Amino acid sequence: MIDQKKSKGFMRAFKEHSVVRAFGSVLGKVSGGMMILLVFVAIFAPWIAPFDYAAQNLMNANLAPSWPHLLGTDEFGRDVLSRLIYGARTSLSVSAAAIFISISAGMTLGAAAGYFGGAFERVVMTVVDLTWSFPDILIALIFVAIIGPGLTSTMFAIAIAYLAQFTRLTRAQIVRLKSETFIEATINLGAKPSHILLRHLLPNALAPVIVVGMLAIGDGIVLEATLGFFGLGAQPPTPSWGAMMSSGTAQLFLAPWVIIFPGVIIALTVISVNLFGDELIRSLDIRERMREN
Amino acid sequence: MTKLLEVRDLTKRFESGGGIFSKARAMHAVQGVSFDIEQGKVVGVVGESGCGKSTLARLILRLIEPSSGQLHFKGNDLMAQSKAQMRDLRKQMQMVFQDPYSSIDPRYTVAEAISEPLKIHRLAKGDALNEAVSQLLTKVGLNPALADSFPHQLSGGQKQRIGIARALAMNPSLLVLDEPTASLDVSVQAQIISLLEKLRNELNLTYLFISHDLSLVNYFCDEIIVMYLGKVVEHLPTTETPAQHPYTRTLLDSTFEPDPNQRREINALEGEVPSPFDLPLGCAFAARCEYATAQCHTQIPELIEQTNHPVACHNPLAIESVAPVLEGQQNAL
Repeated sequence: MIDQKKSKGFMRAFKEHSVVRAFGSVLGKVSGGMMILLVFVAIFAPWIAPFDYAAQNLMNANLAPSWPHLLGTDEFGRDVLSRLIYGARTSLSVSAAAIFISISAGMTLGAAAGYFGGAFERVVMTVVDLTWSFPDILIALIFVAIIGPGLTSTMFAIAIAYLAQFTRLTRAQIVRLKSETFIEATINLGAKPSHILLRHLLPNALAPVIVVGMLAIGDGIVLEATLGFFGLGAQPPTPSWGAMMSSGTAQLFLAPWVIIFPGVIIALTVISVNLFGDELIRSLDIRERMREN
Repeated sequence: MTKLLEVRDLTKRFESGGGIFSKARAMHAVQGVSFDIEQGKVVGVVGESGCGKSTLARLILRLIEPSSGQLHFKGNDLMAQSKAQMRDLRKQMQMVFQDPYSSIDPRYTVAEAISEPLKIHRLAKGDALNEAVSQLLTKVGLNPALADSFPHQLSGGQKQRIGIARALAMNPSLLVLDEPTASLDVSVQAQIISLLEKLRNELNLTYLFISHDLSLVNYFCDEIIVMYLGKVVEHLPTTETPAQHPYTRTLLDSTFEPDPNQRREINALEGEVPSPFDLPLGCAFAARCEYATAQCHTQIPELIEQTNHPVACHNPLAIESVAPVLEGQQNAL
């Protein structure tokens, strides 16, 4: 009896979960499905890719799309499809990890600034706003200069490029929530600041941050590709969509598939991430849900 | 009778504006308010919106820091308490908020909201906690089966009952009720008021009841404090005491009378409340008062606290002229 009630509650909770609800519409199904497919491909790359991404065969250089090289080969005779599949690993993991770092640091700074206010807030916000005045590429160059080119510098560059956005957003949420009656009511119960911050302010501020984070992953993929294109990101032979496009520029007219397919994949990924983010905004909006009920 | 709460000269100034070129302007939200609450009494505070009654409630609980004044609760000097001591004292002095819609975290279920105070003070856990939640829900007249619902699934009256259950969780001795019925339907208002009366008798509670509804205060309270622009203008020791301040009198006259045989001309108050940033020289009510004299416009009337029935007025009304109004009120209720 009790078990039945609990399992029913679990299924209901699962169905009502905002991420699951985001799949409700056609747009949500298509964009979410595309994202799941990309993540699946990235994880199982070694089993899916028909060829080794680094295997060169100059006899087969610049082959047009045909069997067995479905998307053709590049100037070293490497299979474009296999490189795209492995490239998904680089692009998705670097961008997701960077946004994760950015959200963690941004939320901590923003929550502290919003909650404590005063001089602390002014110092934090000024420093954070400063990062906004540097172009992303310049930040990446600084990191490349410090730790050398590679995925780590790309990751930190993306993380810092989006830090200000998450800090500002979290701070604004915390400041808005701080004046809500339920916060005053909780203070009145005798709660400590840590309880109010961790149990009330941050959970209520999380939803919009997650949505912006989702959208930022799309931008992060583009930024990663840009840095890769300039040779500041993934170093050969590690495949990265941006770096693949960069190598494709040399034979743009000779073998256009080398640059076109990574470009299409980047566009598709960013579009589906953004569309899914929009669906997530709708399903996370507590106020909208209340209206539905 | 023992004094539960002593309020002395409580004052709150809010500074607003002020920059490099302009001086900050001070707004007196609450000015020199003094009164006592005796154990087991229901003390009502009435006044128009903006008169500082909600600020007063928050000052007493130190949710807003007073600018000056003294607060003694059960012999503890509240102004001298450290933050940790204050958190502990809050167990005994709780508040029910005006807006039940926004006073519960929208992410919390009913059970989570009610058990929160018990968890914060580590008063119960596990089965004892669930048991306490069901007991509290029953105590405020709700079905314990509601425990798993979210606030947005409940009605205003149900939410306000949850607000009350939350306040009662730690067995407080003083409950500050900040217009607990103002945002509810009239029929639900009556239910909440009768619930509050029942709880008061069962749990030996003391209430500070903030409201703008004088007829409700008249019905529910033992003493009435009338506020105007941050100051106490009259303190009626019982509800039978005839009002002597012209402002109290006008407030009473402006309440509606449901019985057609008792109906009288509604005497609506004219004019605006003066800006709290720019207080008049004399009595703050003088501009709207039909009995105002030259003295009222130049000299601030003091509240004589020694008497049994303090009134801050240069020309208090004669007692005979007002007596029937309150009686009429009581018959109506």
